[in-house]
Amino acid sequence: MSQASLRELYGEMLLLRRFDELCLQLKMRDLIYSGYHPYEGQEAVAVGFCGALQKDDILLSTHRPHGHAVAKGCTLEAVLTEMMGRRTGCSGGLGGGMQYIDAENNFYCGSVVGSNLPIATGFGLAIKQQKLDRICMCLFGDGASNTGSFHEAMNLATIWKLPIVFVCENNQFAEAMPVREFVACERISMRARGYGLAELTVDGNDAEETRRVASELIELTRKGEGPFLVEALTYRIRGHYVGDPEATYRMREEVDAWREKEPLKCAREKLLRSGVEAAELETMDQGVKDRLATLQDWAVQQAFPTLAEGIDHVYLPLTQGESLCH
Amino acid sequence: MPLITFGEAIRQAYREEMKRDKNVFLMGEDVGRWGSLYRSSKGLLEEFGPERVKDTPISEAAIAGCGVGSAVLGMRPIVEIMYIDFIAIAMDQIVNHAAKWHQLSNGKVKLPIVFKTQGGAGRRNSSQHSQCLENWFVNVPGLITVMPSTPYDVKGLLKSAVRDDNPVVFIEHKALYFEKGEVPEEEYLVPLGQADVKRPGQDVTIIATSWMVLFALKAAEKLQECGISCEVVDPRTLWPLDQATLIGSARKTGLCLVVTEAPAEGGWSGEASSVIHEHCFRELRKPVKRLCGTRTGIPYGPVLERQVVPNEASIMEAVRELVR
Repeated sequence: MSQASLRELYGEMLLLRRFDELCLQLKMRDLIYSGYHPYEGQEAVAVGFCGALQKDDILLSTHRPHGHAVAKGCTLEAVLTEMMGRRTGCSGGLGGGMQYIDAENNFYCGSVVGSNLPIATGFGLAIKQQKLDRICMCLFGDGASNTGSFHEAMNLATIWKLPIVFVCENNQFAEAMPVREFVACERISMRARGYGLAELTVDGNDAEETRRVASELIELTRKGEGPFLVEALTYRIRGHYVGDPEATYRMREEVDAWREKEPLKCAREKLLRSGVEAAELETMDQGVKDRLATLQDWAVQQAFPTLAEGIDHVYLPLTQGESLCH
Repeated sequence: MPLITFGEAIRQAYREEMKRDKNVFLMGEDVGRWGSLYRSSKGLLEEFGPERVKDTPISEAAIAGCGVGSAVLGMRPIVEIMYIDFIAIAMDQIVNHAAKWHQLSNGKVKLPIVFKTQGGAGRRNSSQHSQCLENWFVNVPGLITVMPSTPYDVKGLLKSAVRDDNPVVFIEHKALYFEKGEVPEEEYLVPLGQADVKRPGQDVTIIATSWMVLFALKAAEKLQECGISCEVVDPRTLWPLDQATLIGSARKTGLCLVVTEAPAEGGWSGEASSVIHEHCFRELRKPVKRLCGTRTGIPYGPVLERQVVPNEASIMEAVRELVR
């Protein structure tokens, strides 16, 4: 991959990192109301996989969705203000930080672990039957790979040969449950064999690698060779949520060791080695920080939905008969 | 008017809707090769092909989720869950996704899905194949719950459900598939959310759902011979509930019995009863009475299962108590 491409991926990861930091601050100030699920350390999965999709492609994400959403093309404004419960959010401020829909950008996320895999089969089926030039990507965590929905959906997607790229973003923890204790196989990708699919594992901290593999799988899926299941190995640098009791499930030394391998650091070092000036990266960083400062100033001024808006759209009018809306 | 079975009425609704709209498709366990357990989709695989009549693996969560995803992209899935007892496995998709995504998308995404299933006792299948679980769905905002009792209604309501842009839980009764009734040859719809007075009467209102409507009608017939005139009201749609028809009947008679096969506790029978108490308190001569299934798993065999759900005799007895 060229230096320019890496620089681009670095820029996207940097944006996600600083955005995550901004969200943490807003959570601390109680401007994000629900539990906040930090994304630090997993950025190479978002930019590599989600960033490789076209706007028309479908992306199904998780309860830790903001990195995926931004990489898919949802605006920072819509994602941030959704977390802040404002009208300008993707879901009009009704979904919060872990369940929202940006229909225009074909982005869907939800907070029930594993449930998006069955839904992916529906998108895949519609794409296939309507012969659309689109694909569906479904991201899920290591925890989701232990659900019944995972198995049901993988089997259905495979027997129907659906155009879906399933990406297991293995950040080593399902809340406080370490993968090494709670997943029966050594690699989650090994489960692909049970469906007659290839066993694919990628270094989820290497943005060049995630992008390369994503592009290849997306291309093959467009040609009708899907589905695929790929496991991206990464690490959740922060807790499941801000302030979770980390000492109950992992050692500080382990986190420190992974910090040495985190994707932004790796990409930065590689860029410097390839001759990019540190000052240039500094300027890039300042640009992101300025952009986010402006975003924050704008976001805090946005209005909240009214109760009427909050309970609108529970139903559509019946085909016949009276409106069911409030 | 032709006399056809409940199962055949469903088949006609499928055929008409699948011919009318190419986005309508059916999926579920054994809907194709077998034509469904009670043959209500018989011949459709041959007529419409495997893309539109899809046999699926035994994966209720996956097929319900498949309904959600395909609906978002403009298809109109009919997701068949063979027994309502198995819908427990699909509940996450129905409750957390199908019922929520329209609102979560701020009105931008539509979920025109029919989750079609069948429940109830009457075929000696014991506790994991005989339940009445409609109450679960009535309590979930975002869902419509339909429970037809006649061939005419099942056809007209199913066609409306397929055309509706909301997720609809459509619950048939396994004891009804071979019941016959008049169904016109020309096309018609039965609107969702509209009750039907199955038999007019003056003395007592019997509000009954699904299979219980048949028993209520038989009981009403016999009670008429004893000089008690019963009005039998079938809500057909449990939510949205046609309150006006229920209230109108209760006001007229002043006495009301609600009959459901599902147990009373925490259920729709309580909702119907409350609606009448709230609106007709002054006109009622006695409190609304409920006659519901016993709070038990359905016991096996032809004898016991009949003893734990209401029937003609128990309805007659309950009406007699009301008029006494």
